Amino acid sequence: MRIVNVAVAALLAGTMTGLSGGALAQERTVKITGFGAKSGVVRVFGVNSEAAMKAAAEEINKAGGVTLGDGTKAKLSAEFLDDRCNAEEGISVIRRIASSDAFVAVGPTCSNVAESLFGILQKKVGDASDSGLQFPVFADVAAKGGLAAISEWAFRNVPSELEMYKSLFAWLKREHPNLKTIYGGVEKDFAHSNATYGVMKKQAEENGFQVLGTGEWLLNDTTFSTQVREMRRANPEIVAISAHPFTTCGVLREMDRQGVKPKLLIGLTSSSSIETLQGCAKQAEGIIIPTSFAPVTPEAKAAAENVSKQGGSMDLHSAAAYEIMFILKDVIESQKIMAKPDTVQADRNKMRQGLAALKETKGLLGTVGRTNDREAIKPYLYVHAKEGSWQVLHKPSS
Amino acid sequence: MDFYLGLAQVIGVHTLLGLSAYCVLLTSQVSLAQAAFFAVGAYVAAILTVIFKWHLFAALGVSAVVSGLTACAVGFPALRVKGLMLVVATLAFGEAVRLFFFNFTYQIQAGELKIGPHGAEGFRQIRYFPEHGWSTFDVLVFIWLMVAIVMACLWWLDQSRAGAVMRAVGEDEVAAHSAGINVTAAKVSAMTIGGVIAGIGGGIFAHYTTHIEHAQFGVILATFAIAYPILGGLSNVFGTLLAVIFIQGFLIEGLRFLGDWRNLLFGALIVLAMNLRPRGFLDAGGIASLKRMLFAGKESSGA
Repeated sequence: MRIVNVAVAALLAGTMTGLSGGALAQERTVKITGFGAKSGVVRVFGVNSEAAMKAAAEEINKAGGVTLGDGTKAKLSAEFLDDRCNAEEGISVIRRIASSDAFVAVGPTCSNVAESLFGILQKKVGDASDSGLQFPVFADVAAKGGLAAISEWAFRNVPSELEMYKSLFAWLKREHPNLKTIYGGVEKDFAHSNATYGVMKKQAEENGFQVLGTGEWLLNDTTFSTQVREMRRANPEIVAISAHPFTTCGVLREMDRQGVKPKLLIGLTSSSSIETLQGCAKQAEGIIIPTSFAPVTPEAKAAAENVSKQGGSMDLHSAAAYEIMFILKDVIESQKIMAKPDTVQADRNKMRQGLAALKETKGLLGTVGRTNDREAIKPYLYVHAKEGSWQVLHKPSS
Repeated sequence: MDFYLGLAQVIGVHTLLGLSAYCVLLTSQVSLAQAAFFAVGAYVAAILTVIFKWHLFAALGVSAVVSGLTACAVGFPALRVKGLMLVVATLAFGEAVRLFFFNFTYQIQAGELKIGPHGAEGFRQIRYFPEHGWSTFDVLVFIWLMVAIVMACLWWLDQSRAGAVMRAVGEDEVAAHSAGINVTAAKVSAMTIGGVIAGIGGGIFAHYTTHIEHAQFGVILATFAIAYPILGGLSNVFGTLLAVIFIQGFLIEGLRFLGDWRNLLFGALIVLAMNLRPRGFLDAGGIASLKRMLFAGKESSGA
């Protein structure tokens, strides 16, 4: 009898071990790799994107993870590689990711990196004469207009700055009919700032504002006295600055020092971040910026808290990275992606098809439309700096 | 695998950049203009293949000639200054060229798109390689063929009288002049050869990155250009190659997994390498030791 008991116990133990082993074998992890600048002047964007991706992965895993094509459940994990905002390094990073089992990558931060690495991707899907890399890349931050058009393997979850500034200047014309003159400032050597200034200037002119002049500086500049002196001479009613937080703050402080006090300040989308408030909250008081993120919905508030726990801060760029992780989860499930070493190219094709087929996605501020050229149409609002925080000034859709 | 092939491409192109500075350094001229010649080569080759639809080989030939002529033109006035003044003068030239491309716009309509350089926004869609079906491996073979040709030419130059003249000028300019060497011709030739090599390297760079803009050709690239041969050693051309592998292969790519620590280690490891090998990775002593080891093996087997 004792022998029988021992045999049964051994059988049960073996069965349990087998079961738990089987269960463990079912527990899989799908890694999503992000990349962008985690060094240099714009490193904060990479830090925030990484935190957002990790926060989103944690939320997805808490809700049960992702269901793969063979029915198994998997956890998502996120890792992030630094490309130092350098095009050559960006290409190396994407080749490194594409040499692994990854079926998609999220990034980059800088538009100049996106220009290069979207260029090495195959331009048109199925074009046998084009030997470009066949690997889907989903951009979260690179904001220069029209980048996804470079390749059918490139996707972006970036707001349309053309739409945002078009709407903003039309609103300014309605709300402030007494303001007529505007002076621009642009971080000339940064692709995003430079391109967006073109948009701002055009929209200002189309809405009847008189552009009195433009001050130009570089991303690494630290003195702005000459540009602000010219601005003071022009004596504009509105000053529109297309620059990132670091030089935006430099210019605003110089304006404060020289006593330049326009009736209205307008900023670049990327400056609606915590860095601007940390750098120059007093001088930035009142600056109006269109943005595709503000913690105004319960989802957005919760996401901002989650990202904060991961050591980042939520702004329109990191919000895009956060949303992308949920979009990828949906596409993995709808396209039945297997995430196995022997299905890598098939998974990449499915991911590309799935992303290209999206007509709309769920965003933190509401539904995000998707265009045929793989860009996003994101809901946006205007925020302004008030008493050291970003507060909603106007919701154009309401 | 694709990643390693891509990395080998980067190493190849940076080797060309380093070799362009190597031949200038042979005459003891420290030039920070190599990035500018590289930029000239990049823009010229890209304009020819993208706008004028030239074959890449022809475009690279023209980019080499234009960069060489530019370098020759810089070489003559640069003769008036030496040492640190030459560094400043070539740095100023490099910045002037960068700012030229910062403001340079030359676009034509191609269907619905405009193509060509567009000032600060750069020059996109330089897609000769993928559009002509070149695989990553094909591009790699082409780049290393160019590197091999350039290294062979420089090796031959080093063994020739012209090379001896350049080294003599580099060792002691006054003594070389006293010995009847035309110092001006040696220095300008070195600068011109460096320009030609940078032009070829820049042309290839534009095509494998598919997008170029002024910011890529600044002081940092110029510093890398002279760092490669100095770190590698000026005894022969292979030192530059070793230095490029060390910087691009090990410090930049190999240490990427370290995240933020990589940038801190980058400078520290270069300083350490220069302290351990103050005359470069491949100095004359090291080469002599290598030769002794190789020939000793042959002699003993022969005996």
